[in-house]
Order: sequence, then structure tokens, then C-alpha cells
Amino acid sequence: MSDARPGADGSPGACERPLNLIAELTYRCPLRCPYCSNPVDLGIAREALEASDWGRVFRQAAELGVVHVGLTGGEPTARTDLAELIAAAEAADLYTHLVTSGLPVRAAGIEALARAGLRSVQLSIQDAQAEGSDWIAGTRSFDEKIAFARETRRLGLPLVLNVVLHRHNLDRTPEIIELARELDCERLELANVQFHGWARRNRDALMPTRAQVEAAAQVATRARQEHARPEIVFVLPDHFRSRPKPCMGGWGRKNLVVAPDGRVLPCQEAHTIPGLEFWKVGERSLVECWEEAPGMRAFRGDSWMEDPCRSCPERQTDFGGCRCQAYHLVGRASATDPACELAPERAAFVDGVAGASERATAAEDTHFDYRRA
Amino acid sequence: MSEARGASAFEAALRDLLDRRYHHRHPFNLRMHEGQLDRDAIRIWVRNRYYYQTRIPIKDGMILSKSPDAAFRRDWIVRIEDHDGRKAGEGGLALWLKLAEAVGLDRGEVETLEAILPGVRRAGDAYVEFVEGHDLLESVAASLTELYASEIMHVRIAAFEKHYAWIGEGGNDYFRSRTVKAPRDARGGLGFVLRNAISREDQQRCLAALERKCEILWALLDAVDAAASRPRLVPFAKLRAPDARGTTTVVLPERAVEISGSGPEMIALCDGKRRGFEVAEALCARHPDVSGVEADVYDFLLGMKGAGVIEFQGAEER
Repeated sequence: MSDARPGADGSPGACERPLNLIAELTYRCPLRCPYCSNPVDLGIAREALEASDWGRVFRQAAELGVVHVGLTGGEPTARTDLAELIAAAEAADLYTHLVTSGLPVRAAGIEALARAGLRSVQLSIQDAQAEGSDWIAGTRSFDEKIAFARETRRLGLPLVLNVVLHRHNLDRTPEIIELARELDCERLELANVQFHGWARRNRDALMPTRAQVEAAAQVATRARQEHARPEIVFVLPDHFRSRPKPCMGGWGRKNLVVAPDGRVLPCQEAHTIPGLEFWKVGERSLVECWEEAPGMRAFRGDSWMEDPCRSCPERQTDFGGCRCQAYHLVGRASATDPACELAPERAAFVDGVAGASERATAAEDTHFDYRRA
Repeated sequence: MSEARGASAFEAALRDLLDRRYHHRHPFNLRMHEGQLDRDAIRIWVRNRYYYQTRIPIKDGMILSKSPDAAFRRDWIVRIEDHDGRKAGEGGLALWLKLAEAVGLDRGEVETLEAILPGVRRAGDAYVEFVEGHDLLESVAASLTELYASEIMHVRIAAFEKHYAWIGEGGNDYFRSRTVKAPRDARGGLGFVLRNAISREDQQRCLAALERKCEILWALLDAVDAAASRPRLVPFAKLRAPDARGTTTVVLPERAVEISGSGPEMIALCDGKRRGFEVAEALCARHPDVSGVEADVYDFLLGMKGAGVIEFQGAEER
């Protein structure tokens, strides 16, 4: 979620008003994408929040300043009480945005959600055609997704199409853009795979070549120039950038995640960093969980930073990048994101990417470790 | 630095750039050519584009002064004559004033160049400044938008005849004259650029110059569009009530835009009925002591359009 707030202050440790709630309603999902950002050990976070609990979360989030809720998962439409949740979020004056795979809701189910007050939809597809998309999703789903997209537009809801790009679909970027145009999307998000969650397990199988990414980026740029719609967002892989992405707009700053078990997190991955203590709604108020939990405070502001971040003039722009990536690749969550050119570990990071890409090219077959529920 | 392109590959790169960036893709031109503009919108365009027309012979004079080659100057000076005529009342500028009359504007008033939109003035001046600050090769390269001009003129002539029958006699005369002259000018300019941009570096400079020119033409139409269209919130935006500081938040899918200062006041006027220039007039009337309000309003409208908060409607909402 981006925002255009002028003069946001970045004083150390200051607690800002979050704008966006990422409500992970469940980790259940009928799809098995090998790059899923959900935890690889789903046993650690059982669904614990009832509809009434979520209603309380929405109201408390609104009091904190949140204006937008992304209803996500897992697959949020796996919850049978989703319409009720949407109505509760709307009643709390939040803008309700559904992030879905299109299943199990299907085209037939979207109208009830629209009636409950749903404002907009992000649909993921895995490729521009059924064969590739179903292969990645690990289940037959593409045709249902397209029917869902058409019904969403027929009902007048704005549609964001999200496609995670990787070795096996980057070459079909032109067809993906064409499909997005045909489906009359507001926005197309072409996001090169980030190696979190299941994607880290499948890194070698997903890693594209440099040429693939460059060609796809060019296609996206040209499409943007040729047509005003849809808006196309092309998120480059980290190793194509000189500076890290401002992950989540900063730790505990603009985006507030509530996991299915009620834990309040700064991002969907933060629980993979050992030793961080996060609190749960239901045990404490949302405000306390957001402002006071030791894990939330750990990387807020810039007093936790090491060099080169500590003295970097851009530390309020990119916030040192991704804490999870720093932990998983460098071994210290307080290290500079190795995606940064100024990070001592940058060279090893880029070598690692190149190595994975070469291994993928040399491999005869692709074997995914599909997400297991 | 990589190797220079061959002439045909370089020409293809120039044409490809135009295909992507020339203002035939601008939403205002698309609406014009699809017959979606009403009389006032056409008039705003004609009145404002005249400012740009008047800058053309000025920049051509500058280009003349950059060349030590008499043959080049003999060829190029024709462009100034084309626009200014051999005597008063002739030439492209006179034909544009004929268009102004044909759409119902007062010719004398248009000629004064008063009430030109700030963004249009900026764009016209930017072209002159570009030529002032760049060498002969880049200046000629910037003129190569002429390569596409003939095509757009044919589209426009057909659109005017089909959709804007209310436009009086002589409304298409300027465009007809350009269908002959633009290809001639473009051939001359293209030949010069292909002969003189030998190194890869020169070729890149030419492409950058042409891209800059496309940006200028685009910005000009942005300015016209912002004044002539009817801005309104995109239909799925949620406008929240202002907070204690008077800041309004517009919420969109995966995006929130905070609007402070006089922004909420302007957003409230974007009702799909008022035109952009009426929003600007209303703000100016409310803040008579503040300078630069008009330009601020247009910058705001274009910024909000860029952020996906508002859209520009051609026709009035029913």
C-alpha cells in the first residue's frame, strides 16, 4: 500500500498512524503455489478469530487511523463468514479490498460480497493461459479465475490483476498484459517473485535469467506508453536495483498485519525472525499490540540500524530494506538488506542469484515443492 | 559505448519512439478524433495551441542561426515563411487564426495571446528553450515529430468533417496545408539527422531530443485537458470526511492519498460538471490575494489524475 502523505515524520521510534490493515483471515487455500508467502509451517498459526473478533479488530484499526483493509490469507473466500466480515469492515468505515485467488468463491459468489459492501478486488492468476497457470497453482483453477474476473467487472467493481513473475511465466508477459487489458483491469501488478515463504524453498526452480527479466520489463514499459489502461506496475527483482525496496513502507509504520491466530505483525513474514515477541489481539487491545509489542518496536524508526544504513541519507526512504531478507541471507535482522549496493553482502547476494539461475538453466526438469496446507 | 546503428536501424528507432510517445496517443487527442469534444473544449484547444504555433517560427529562427551551411539555411528558412507568410494574412499562423474564427473565437483576441493556460505557455516556452540550449543536430532531431504530423493531420481532417460539422468554413485549411508541408519538412529534417548523427552517442542524443519534444507536446495537451475536461473522482474512490487538521483522505484499491491545504476545497469542486478552468476560476475568486492560484489548480488536477484519484470527463455527466 502506497500513500502520498507529505511530510511524514521519521523520528526514531515514533509510532505513526497505520493506513492499511492486512487482515489474514485464514491460511487455508485451495491453491498450492510454490511461491506462497504463507508460513511453510502452517501448524504454528491456527485460525483463532471469529467474525466478532475481526469486527473488533476493524473498529480498533479505524481508531488507530487505518482507512483501508486488504482481506487476504491464505484464501479469504475459504471463510464462509466473509460477507459478514466485509459488512463489519465497511461499518467501521474501512475501504474493503479483497485479495483472492478466485477460488473457492467463484463467479457465483462475488455478488453476495459486493452486496455486503466490498469495494474492490485483487485477483491472482499464475500465467496467461490455463496450462501454465494450473501447473503453478497445483490445481485446475484458471478458467474459474477468468470467469470470476469477468463477473467482478460486470458488477462494476474495480479489478487489480496480480501475477507473480518467475522463470516459467516471464516470457509470457505480453500475453499477460493483453489478458489484463481484455479483462478491463484498473491495474496489473507484475511482481517478480520475492524469495520468502515457500519461494525460498523453490528458489532454484523459480529463478529467472537476467535476459528474461530485462525483456519483460521492456514489454511492460512499452505497454504503459501505448495504453493508458491498465496501469502497469512492474516490480523488479532486488538484484536489478541499486537500493532495497522500502519493505512494507517501513517496519510497523504504514501497514498493520493481523495473522489468522490474532498476532499483530509488521509484515506477513516477521514471525520467521527468531526472538521477536509479538502480541495477539484478544489478549490485548490492537493499539497495544501495534504500539508496544517488543517485536513491533524492534525495527521501528532508525535507532536499530547498523552501518551503512545508520549514516545513510536514504534511511528514511527505504528504511534499510527488508528485515526478513537481512535475517535469512545475512543472519542478522538488523543488517542492511543485502539487496542494497552499499551492503557488504551484496556481492554474495548477486552471486547467489546468478548461481540459482544457472542451476535452473542446467536442470532438465522443474520440480516444485508445492505449498502444503 | 556500444556501436552506432546503421541508418535504417536508427530511423526505425526514431519512428518507434514516435509511435510510443507522440501525442497521437494523448487522451485529449483521442477524444478529439473520436468526436467526443464539445465546442468549448475545441475552442480552448484552438486558442491555446495558437501560442505554441507562434513559438515555431521563433525556434526555427534559432535553428537557422546555428548552421554555418548556406544550403541548410536556404532549406530551413522556408519553414519560417510557411508559418509567417510572405506578407501579412498569409501563412500557417494566419490559417490557424482562420480556424479560430471557424470555431467561433474572436481572431483579434486569440492573437493577443492573453488567457493562455500556464501549462501551455510553459510547454511552448520549453520548446524554444530547448532549441536555445542544444546544438543544431539535437534541435533538428526535436523537429522530427513532423514524421508523424501528416498522419495525425489526416485523422484530424476526417474527424473534423465527421464529428464537428458546426465548425465553419476554413476550419481544416491549416491541417490540409500541413499534410503537404509536414512530410516535406520531415524528409529534410530526417535526412539531416541520419547524415549527421554518426556515432552512437550522437544517435542517443537525437533520440533523447525527440523524446523531450514528445514530452513537451504531451504536457501541452495535459494542460489543455486539465482546463477543458470535467474532472471528477474516479467512481470507486472513497472520499473520507476531513479530519481535525482539515486533511482529507481519498481511498482507492491498495492506495490512500492524503489531501491537505486547499486540496479538499478543489476536490469538492471536481463534480464531473464543472470544467477544470471553472474549478480554477472558483479558486481564484475565493483567494483573490494569492498569486499563482490558477497554475496551482492545474498542477493539482494533473497530479490527482496521475495518482488515479480523479479522471477527466469529456462530456458532461447526465
